[in-house]
Amino acid sequence: MISSMRRYLSPHMVKQGALNFCRFLLLGVYLFFVLAPVYWMVITAFKTDTEIVNVNNITYFPQHFTLDNFISLFSQLKFGGFLKNSIILSTGTAIVVLIYAILGGYALARYKFRGKSTIILFFLISQMIPGILVIIPLYLIFAKLHLINTLFVLLIIYIMGNTPFCVITMRSFFERIPVSLEEAARVDGCSRMEALVRVIIPVLFPGIVAVFIFAFTGAWNDLLAGVIFTSSQAKWTVPVGMKSLIGKYNVRWGELMAGGTLALLPTVIMFAFVQRYVVDGLTAGSVKG
Amino acid sequence: MLRNDAKYAKKFQKTALEPYLLLLPVLVSMLFMFGYPLINSFLLSFTHYRLIEPNNIYFNGMENFVNLFQKDEYLGLVAMNSLKWVLGCVSVQFFLGLVLALALKKPFKGRGVYQSIIFVPWAFSSFAVGLMFRWSFNGEYGVINDLLMRSSLITEKISWLGSSKLSLLTVIIAMVWIGVPFFGIMLLAALQSIPSEIYEAAVLDGCGAIRKFFSVTLAYIKPTIIVTILLRTIWVFNAVEMIMVVTEGGPTYSSETLASYIYSRAFSTYDFGLAAALGTVFMVGLSAYALVFLRVTKFEEAGDF
Repeated sequence: MISSMRRYLSPHMVKQGALNFCRFLLLGVYLFFVLAPVYWMVITAFKTDTEIVNVNNITYFPQHFTLDNFISLFSQLKFGGFLKNSIILSTGTAIVVLIYAILGGYALARYKFRGKSTIILFFLISQMIPGILVIIPLYLIFAKLHLINTLFVLLIIYIMGNTPFCVITMRSFFERIPVSLEEAARVDGCSRMEALVRVIIPVLFPGIVAVFIFAFTGAWNDLLAGVIFTSSQAKWTVPVGMKSLIGKYNVRWGELMAGGTLALLPTVIMFAFVQRYVVDGLTAGSVKG
Repeated sequence: MLRNDAKYAKKFQKTALEPYLLLLPVLVSMLFMFGYPLINSFLLSFTHYRLIEPNNIYFNGMENFVNLFQKDEYLGLVAMNSLKWVLGCVSVQFFLGLVLALALKKPFKGRGVYQSIIFVPWAFSSFAVGLMFRWSFNGEYGVINDLLMRSSLITEKISWLGSSKLSLLTVIIAMVWIGVPFFGIMLLAALQSIPSEIYEAAVLDGCGAIRKFFSVTLAYIKPTIIVTILLRTIWVFNAVEMIMVVTEGGPTYSSETLASYIYSRAFSTYDFGLAAALGTVFMVGLSAYALVFLRVTKFEEAGDF
């Protein structure tokens, strides 16, 4: 059977087959590499404490499924408060950054003006400046203004920190919309406002979604600014609250993994729904080629 | 005529100001968030500034730098760690990202789903990924040790995070995990933009597979490779959160990089002058790297970006 089949396979086909086999083997191994740590985190979140710290029998699937870690996260560790702070900050950041990005992106895409290329250059350079370096002077300013340990300070930092990249991204989305589309709508009797709402915004929708998510994720994922600018538990975001659980002599791994799982959920859901736009935005925003 | 002129002037002024007005929030953000702090940080590096001595702030010339280079016994170790950190993270991320992009170039059934799964880590936070890896590499209860024991590769559990030889490696693995999607996304997009005619021409010219890969594929996506490596190097160099979560720089600075060292110097000793001096050194190094990199790769000749 095999030998009869082999007669019909040219050397080229055999080579292609071998190549394909390697390709899928590689993709399979990589998939495992991506999924394994996530799997490990999620199943730990559903294990009981005794199972987690049983050194003699490390289990690869929970023996007793439990929601205890999630429950104590909320009842004992004030996770609800962290979550609320994170949601407020990320949503607020995303809305403001989106407005800034639409205005700035439109200006950069549709106007010719002096200093434009310098501004774009500064946008790009600002992406390379280490956060840790600017955070010390900012700390001193906000300390003078008595704003340390407020959510307001984090909101300002998240907005300002995420704006440049989002403006650049939005600009490239605007640039993809031909000016003629806007003009055609005007010729057809649309007012400028109507043209914007009925023609430009729908075409721009992917850009709006991408920018919203970039800004939301940027604020949601931040740990550094949160650790530096907030000190009382009532002001902590999810990452800062979770960080406070490690470093103590008795690390509560069950709750930490439950918290980590919950922290990842929103970004994963967003990414799943709009991956195409995000990929578009990412490739357009940082590298134009 | 006069009215026309006035109208024209008004219109001209309006269009001249409009873009600046639209960009105002962004420009203010950048000045406040990057411009002022950078200048301030530079000035701070020549100042005696300790947060715990608010009434004892004065210009101290090069003293911070002298302290840094002559008295700081960990600076050499930390600088070396930074180099290993950047080289390790970026080279492996790039290699895996390129291999992945090449493997994903040809369509196959389920490619879309596969892609969306493996690119998800891009949206993950350093802190959550740091937690995952800190837990996986836990010396006692960690899955990595358990797997290695079960497959008889080791007989005794390894203290990954507690060993000064292995802690940096552990953080690098976590950083590679989170960073591959960026390269994968960028390089795949670049690969897909290569027109198939170029390959046909190369085949007609008698190019073999290897020659085709180096002279056509890599040559065509060179601008993307340069920009992604440049950006990623800088981001990895600047990254502190992963280190803060996985090892906290320890044990005894063995996984501390320059960026995380600035953080620990600033917020453990509150000597902001010294931390700023470290920052100035950091920025000089970063700028030099960017200039040299662009020069060496002959980026201007490689194409526009």
